[in-house]
Amino acid sequence: MELTTTVNDEPRAVEVGGTEVAVDVLRDHLGLTGTKLVCGSGVCGACTILVDGEPVLACLTPATRLRDCAVTTVEGLADGAELHPVQRAFAHHDGLQCGYCTPGFVVDAVAFHDRWRADHGTTEPTREVIAEALAGHLCRCGSYEGVYRAVAAACRGEHDGGAGIVERVDAPAKLTGAAVFTTDVVLPGMLHAVIRRSDVAAGLVGPITFPDGVVGVELLGADRRVRWAGQPIAAVAAESLAEARRVARELDVPLTPESFVLDPDEAVRPGAPLVYATRADRKNAPSAGEGGAPMPVSWDGNRHGPSRTPFLGTVAKRRISSARAAGRRGLVELEVGTTAQLHTAFEPHACVADWSDAQHLRVWLSTQGVDQLRLSIAERFDLDPTQVEVVAEYVGGGFGAKLSLTPEAVGAISLSRLARRPVRLVLDRHEELTATGNRPGSRSRVALLVDEDTQGIRALTVDSDSHGGVAVGGSAASLAMLLYDRTPRLARDVDVVTNAPPGAPFRGPGGPTSAWALESTVDEVAHRFGRDPIELRAQWDGNPKRQALYRWAGALPTWRQRQATGSRAGRYRRGVGVAAGNWIYIVDPDCEVVVSVESGRLVASSATQDMGTGSRTVVARAVAGVFGVDPSQVDVRLGRSHGGTAHGPASGGSRTTVSLWSTAVEAATTLRDRVGTDLSTVPDGATAGAKRGGDRGMRAVPVTMNGVQIGRGFSAALHVTEVEVDTRTGKTRVLRVHGGIAVGRIHAPVLARSQCEGSVIQGIGLALYENQVLDPHTGLTLTANLEDYRIPQLGDTPEIDIHFHEEGWDHVPGGGIGLGEVATVSPAASVGNAIFNATGWRPLTLPVRPDRLLEGLRAGVTR
Amino acid sequence: MSGLTILTAYDERPDGLGPGDAVYRAGGTDLQERLRTTGATPHVLDLTGVPGFAGIERAGTGTTIGAGTTVEALTRELAADYPALALTAAGLATPQVRATATIGGNLLQRTRCWYFRHPHLTCLKCGGDSCPARDGRHLYGVAFDTAPCVHPHPSSLAMALLTYAATVTTTQRDGLTIGDLLGDGSDPSRDHLLGDDEVLTRVTLPPPVAGEQGAYYRAISRFEAEWPLVEAVCRVARDDAGTITSCGVAIGGVAPTPLRLKAVEAMLTGSTLDDDVVAAAASAATAGASPLPETGYKVDLVEATVREVLERVRS
Repeated sequence: MELTTTVNDEPRAVEVGGTEVAVDVLRDHLGLTGTKLVCGSGVCGACTILVDGEPVLACLTPATRLRDCAVTTVEGLADGAELHPVQRAFAHHDGLQCGYCTPGFVVDAVAFHDRWRADHGTTEPTREVIAEALAGHLCRCGSYEGVYRAVAAACRGEHDGGAGIVERVDAPAKLTGAAVFTTDVVLPGMLHAVIRRSDVAAGLVGPITFPDGVVGVELLGADRRVRWAGQPIAAVAAESLAEARRVARELDVPLTPESFVLDPDEAVRPGAPLVYATRADRKNAPSAGEGGAPMPVSWDGNRHGPSRTPFLGTVAKRRISSARAAGRRGLVELEVGTTAQLHTAFEPHACVADWSDAQHLRVWLSTQGVDQLRLSIAERFDLDPTQVEVVAEYVGGGFGAKLSLTPEAVGAISLSRLARRPVRLVLDRHEELTATGNRPGSRSRVALLVDEDTQGIRALTVDSDSHGGVAVGGSAASLAMLLYDRTPRLARDVDVVTNAPPGAPFRGPGGPTSAWALESTVDEVAHRFGRDPIELRAQWDGNPKRQALYRWAGALPTWRQRQATGSRAGRYRRGVGVAAGNWIYIVDPDCEVVVSVESGRLVASSATQDMGTGSRTVVARAVAGVFGVDPSQVDVRLGRSHGGTAHGPASGGSRTTVSLWSTAVEAATTLRDRVGTDLSTVPDGATAGAKRGGDRGMRAVPVTMNGVQIGRGFSAALHVTEVEVDTRTGKTRVLRVHGGIAVGRIHAPVLARSQCEGSVIQGIGLALYENQVLDPHTGLTLTANLEDYRIPQLGDTPEIDIHFHEEGWDHVPGGGIGLGEVATVSPAASVGNAIFNATGWRPLTLPVRPDRLLEGLRAGVTR
Repeated sequence: MSGLTILTAYDERPDGLGPGDAVYRAGGTDLQERLRTTGATPHVLDLTGVPGFAGIERAGTGTTIGAGTTVEALTRELAADYPALALTAAGLATPQVRATATIGGNLLQRTRCWYFRHPHLTCLKCGGDSCPARDGRHLYGVAFDTAPCVHPHPSSLAMALLTYAATVTTTQRDGLTIGDLLGDGSDPSRDHLLGDDEVLTRVTLPPPVAGEQGAYYRAISRFEAEWPLVEAVCRVARDDAGTITSCGVAIGGVAPTPLRLKAVEAMLTGSTLDDDVVAAAASAATAGASPLPETGYKVDLVEATVREVLERVRS
């Protein structure tokens, strides 16, 4: 039917179908791509719009309900160039990161603000009131603290007038819907593509014949094997998405199912089906680690490894086995487990490829590495790198899963080559939560031997099985070797492969898993000997930065008021836990930044990208500082890589800030020294570039691997967490988290704080809620939607206090390194230790769901 | 492009539509999600334009609620005289969903089982011949295993309506109880027992009980906006001495349909809700539980949630 409606004060007429919903009208018919489609099931709120002033979900609201209504989308909140006070508050208090959930949040927050102000004037709403009002929104980056700050400040009337402060230079674009993500790209003549996936966990695929007129490509490996349910088999393109779905569904895929194994325990039994039968197969196994395994390790059936990281490993083993035989009290052993955590980037994996000009391939790609992907694409499709352009102006989160050449890109590019037309391939939420990676589940055994009198550490062994499905690359055990470094020790990492979806790098790969094992055990040692867990760590830890964090944490009132473990009674029990984190320092020495003047404005560019981590702001602040101007006076051009762009770092391994900052400062300084600071007199085209280079004489490892150098020194983190356990219902609430982060000088403090707050929130998800579940009979993912895959909500956010220790990195240009990884390592373990302190029951398996907590407490009662 | 008829009367039907060619739509919060998953494009019969579809009317004989009344309207308009129902309504989903979803849609929504909702799996409710959750994964399944399908009925409002002995009216029948409407789960292909062309038009509550109090509790892992692991509701009227003169208690998230706990009600009636009675009643709520391998915890949560609502209604 045809309906008329008013959208952002403009009358519109559209033809809509019976099953269409509002988001289809806005995005597809009217081209208003500010409204984002994320969950498609009314859970996340990203598509929230106002209909006659009331917030509704555009993904579920029938298109017909817009008839003769006044619709307001994120594009319509501002009054011309003047942002709404709520938008200004979000910009000032950094209530956003990647920006993909932001349109829904800010639209609903405007509705709440306007209601609240009408009823309550400038009285500040409590956190509880804000959480209730915005309970229909999720943010995977974990920008919730910023949202609370922004909404409260706007309601206090603090942003009613004035231009306001913009902490994140691209916040206005994200808050008005102007930011163009890959999913928003529409090209003339574009085809729509979908991936046909396996719905069995193992099988051999026969020849596929695409029907006449169907644009299709295979996505299988040379062995034509399917190894997990959800694995891509082929991609097809058609004039519409609905048509592409139909063609994909009806495509004849001759598949002979084979036996498979999903349970890691069964996978290592004799006679279990082999995930990789031949040496050649094993070489193609994907990795859940970052940067690949440095040493080749052996295979035994479905076991890959162990990969050993020893320091006097034989001594460590001997000491522990004799202590075990003697039943020594100084030996503490723990076996713990974790469950796969899904990245859940709100912008799904998405690609629009345009290869209609045979000499030039343009690829819009939601990626963490525009420059790296340009090279990968050129290599894969046999092009010269100068013939390829990769664009990712805005990236709606990645968290590690968008670092490689993934099937949506291969599919879209291949189809565009065939069709000689642009092709769009965007995963739906089900695919995103099935097939794009996860932080592998694990099982780890830790043995920690201490001197019974002094609790001096005598030996440490960590054996960790990584359950990355078809992927290898577990590193949890080896990472546990890097904290308490004054003892004989041995790590053995094993990958137990199964026919489950592959793991992929996820913020601090292996880190939170490692901390869950090691830091739970350290906590157990402290408990057994009645030691203060912070003092005990300080006794063992040789890292001076973490020593500073121990002093900071030990003085916190939250810590000083901590009560003895298990001493609480009653229904609600509070407890405080601590856990330490560690990460390596890597840098991209080839990073380049170019700074120039165009029409009197500063322009800085580099072929890197900003997925919400703030690289655009870091570059702006670096250049602005040199010229003594506000960061908003610098145009930062990122998110584009072609033959003429300066090489920029991938957003992975916490390398972007440390690579970009000093390089941008150097380029800007060279330019300033040449042209001065009165830009109005500078002719267009004045340009200076700089290249980062390594830290002279300060490398930890004298080689460059995969484009990065490992620099000297470890970053450090410490999380002190207070929880409240409801022993009646098994529910754990995290009340307060203090995060100490030692990465040297912080170049964009507000954004850095946001990223560290997000790490805490993702850690709470890992600790308490997030639980990938596969069907044991098919290997299909059951938790492939945001109802069943439960990520933290606004109301689950504790009060978060982030403390930066800024010393200790003077050997690094700019004095500070990245924090994306180190900040994620210890939050989950600190939650577990807090639950132990509260209840006297030690959680061993993540997530600590209500059913596990109730079972644990019941066992504790009968013991 | 799929067809659409904005109905102006329940029995209006465009020519040429066979049985099964069309779907009725109220708020659409369940339907649109399923259509997105399956890619189906049936003809839509939109009910929201039918006169009287939404709205609450009070009369001496009771209160009628149009099937198209939103959940949000229940929380706002029934808080004073039907507190147990209003609190239950306020506890489900998110503000945006509550503003759109209707009482009729809440009663008639399809199961939330992750097998049923999966695009590549079948089950007893979508053409399959067995329940894959039973010997698969059923962490959120039933703790009273009384039917072939092992996922609990999702309607929180049905649970609350049970305690009022509410009835529903359809285009073909009148005076159906919630039990008549939802069945007992013995036909596992269905989440309700309406015929293909039968439309739920209104829900009728008995007159409010003066001074009645209500409480609702939903056991979940997060802050809000999560399907209940277990939920419970109670409504209680007391005399001046604090003695319970009438009450209703029901639980959800645990059985093929919500369960009204008449034995528990009998224990409470005539009592003053002292600690011993609350404990005994909460314990009795678990009588007959038969959990699945992964749902034993729900038995504990039945006791916990019933205790919670009784303590809340007492305070």
